[in-house]
Amino acid sequence: MTDYFKYLLSPFILSLHAWGMLEGGAFAWLGFGVIFWVLLFDAFLKPSHHRRDTRFPWVYDIIITCTVLACFANIFLYAHLAGGIHFGGLAPQLGAFLGSVMIGFVIGAPPVHELFHRENMALRTLGRIGQCLVFDPWREITHVVTHHMHTATPTDPDYARRGDTVYGHFTRTFPGQWKESYHLEKMMWTKRGRKWYDLRNAWVFKATYFAVFIGALFALGGVKGGLLACGSLILGPRMMLEVFNYCNHYGLVSATPGRFKMHHTWNHLTPFTRILALEITNHAGHHDDSYKPFYELEPDETGPKQPPFILCVIAAFVPPLFMLMMKPLLKHWDEHYANDQEREIGARENARAGWHELNNDESPTTPSAGLAAA
Amino acid sequence: MKDVMSQPYKSGKQSCRVSVSGKNDSTFTINRNDMLLKSALDQGMDYPHNCRVGVCGQCKTKLLSGKVSPMVDLALSPLSNDEIENGYFLACQGKVRGDIEIEVNLGQHHVVPEQQVSGRISLWKRLPGEVIELRIALDVPFQYEAGQYAFLSESGSFVRRCFSFSDAPPADKNNAATEVGFLIKRLPGGQFSEWLFAENRTGLKMWLHGPYGVMGVDDPDVSGLCVAGGTGLAPVLAILQQRLAQSAIAKFTVIFGVKTQGELFAIDKLEALIAQYPGRVQLLPILSHEAVDSDWQGERGFVTELINEDLGIDYGQIASFICGGLPMVEAVEARLLKMGMNPDRIHADKFMPTG
Repeated sequence: MTDYFKYLLSPFILSLHAWGMLEGGAFAWLGFGVIFWVLLFDAFLKPSHHRRDTRFPWVYDIIITCTVLACFANIFLYAHLAGGIHFGGLAPQLGAFLGSVMIGFVIGAPPVHELFHRENMALRTLGRIGQCLVFDPWREITHVVTHHMHTATPTDPDYARRGDTVYGHFTRTFPGQWKESYHLEKMMWTKRGRKWYDLRNAWVFKATYFAVFIGALFALGGVKGGLLACGSLILGPRMMLEVFNYCNHYGLVSATPGRFKMHHTWNHLTPFTRILALEITNHAGHHDDSYKPFYELEPDETGPKQPPFILCVIAAFVPPLFMLMMKPLLKHWDEHYANDQEREIGARENARAGWHELNNDESPTTPSAGLAAA
Repeated sequence: MKDVMSQPYKSGKQSCRVSVSGKNDSTFTINRNDMLLKSALDQGMDYPHNCRVGVCGQCKTKLLSGKVSPMVDLALSPLSNDEIENGYFLACQGKVRGDIEIEVNLGQHHVVPEQQVSGRISLWKRLPGEVIELRIALDVPFQYEAGQYAFLSESGSFVRRCFSFSDAPPADKNNAATEVGFLIKRLPGGQFSEWLFAENRTGLKMWLHGPYGVMGVDDPDVSGLCVAGGTGLAPVLAILQQRLAQSAIAKFTVIFGVKTQGELFAIDKLEALIAQYPGRVQLLPILSHEAVDSDWQGERGFVTELINEDLGIDYGQIASFICGGLPMVEAVEARLLKMGMNPDRIHADKFMPTG
């Protein structure tokens, strides 16, 4: 029965953050501090392979639905408070901003992602509208169609190849996703024989609720509050999601695009990461069946694993440190998880990244002219 | 599908009954939440399919009752809007959520399992019309059937493209092929074909993943009309070789369309078949963009223009094997139906050039 209570941790931290912001002063750091220390503490815990109690799935659904709604309330509250003189000095303002950034990423994004994958129309609709919280109403379409179908290949804009830094990843993934969103939306309105401006097109609905959302932030917080709220969402869930994607498939290769295999993703299975991220770090199970609710995911005990989540995210911003961490992991992946064809692609990718030390003498590292960059 | 999409997820490995109506009625069992096509193929069923990744639309299936969840928005699939609204989905993208009734034409043919094998290029030869004849000597024997295709990729590269086998597999079904051939057209800007054309690639290691597609399956003794556009000739050659060898009576008319005389390739292979099976193969090359004042004495125009009464074929009694670009294949299919051909005997492989 305790499984159900575990997922109350997110709304609890969210409440602390809201209370801290209302109190102001040093309390404005409360949300940021709590989430940081919880994740840091988690980094020292052993992986958890516990499967969740699934007797009352509606309890989980109520919790994550309330979490998404509370995240909306939270960002509106932040916009309102940040727009005025409530926080006073710079330190409380910074604390509230960083708290909103971290909360938006760690607590806001996971239930949104969970819900837009759901089959139940009410939950899926909430997930779709909830994409405002990740500042990208088009996230679902590129995520489900492109990311899930092209996992661990360069045709997935969310994918980072060996040697790619997170900063280079930002410059590729954002334009890649915009281009892909446009391409997919165009396919849908063309298929239905509509003009691009037809009001029945999905993109019109998405643009409308996104505009209403942003309008509400500015209405509540004025220019300053609106900008800070938008900034926290862009730097938080929007950008950090890309860091998450950057880490979660980093350098892995698939020789069978469209056919996901459990070794095509990294996993983070420490207890609090699993709980706060709604099991999304239990990533292989999610890719294996993207309709499966978070409480049904079975940890892949023998699958590829990265160091604790918070360490990966922080290290990602220091490329030499991140590469130092990833090279032995990728070498191990090549030797123990990859099939023969993937091992050869991996060797070519190592050579492309200049990581020749990861290849042995028999590795097919010399690219033939023309496909080297492919 | 709207009501189906709204059904809540139910987990577990319970079995679901799949009742199939169509050309061959059948019932089989799969695990709840399994992909319909993959499960059916794993059980050795001849389920119509081709790419298995939601692109070709060959596994189009009508849901009569029950619950199926498509992995991607069907508006992004090759299904038309009308088909989606009438309950069609793609079996390769459909997760079965309970007992279902579906309508699809199952075949009664053994399905060759998917294989991933390596080999080295044993022949790299330029042919007219910017076509490369590629042969790969395989490290491990590979099973496939005439008319099927496989993904090809260079060792170490993410880039892979699919191409049809251009020769028939060994006649003895217990033996797999140790060498396979392909005909590959250069597509300007195409990542794979441009790379392949850049220099002689003999000796290079390649990977094959497949086989996929169902095209050449029909009564061995039935005569056939083969229509090929460009490198669509590859599967037609394989089918011709296999069917000519399997039957002592089947006759074939081959309509082979390219743009100009200078682009006619692999004619020697067709002539070899004509010589090997006297009186059983008629070849009709046709050029769509040949200069009016050239010395070409053969047919001019599009392949559909030759499909008429003058061909001397009883369209109601033969099978057809068509491969080429999507518009060409669709035009040929429409023409054959108009000429009275049995739709079940039209076997087509439509491709979109990807280079």
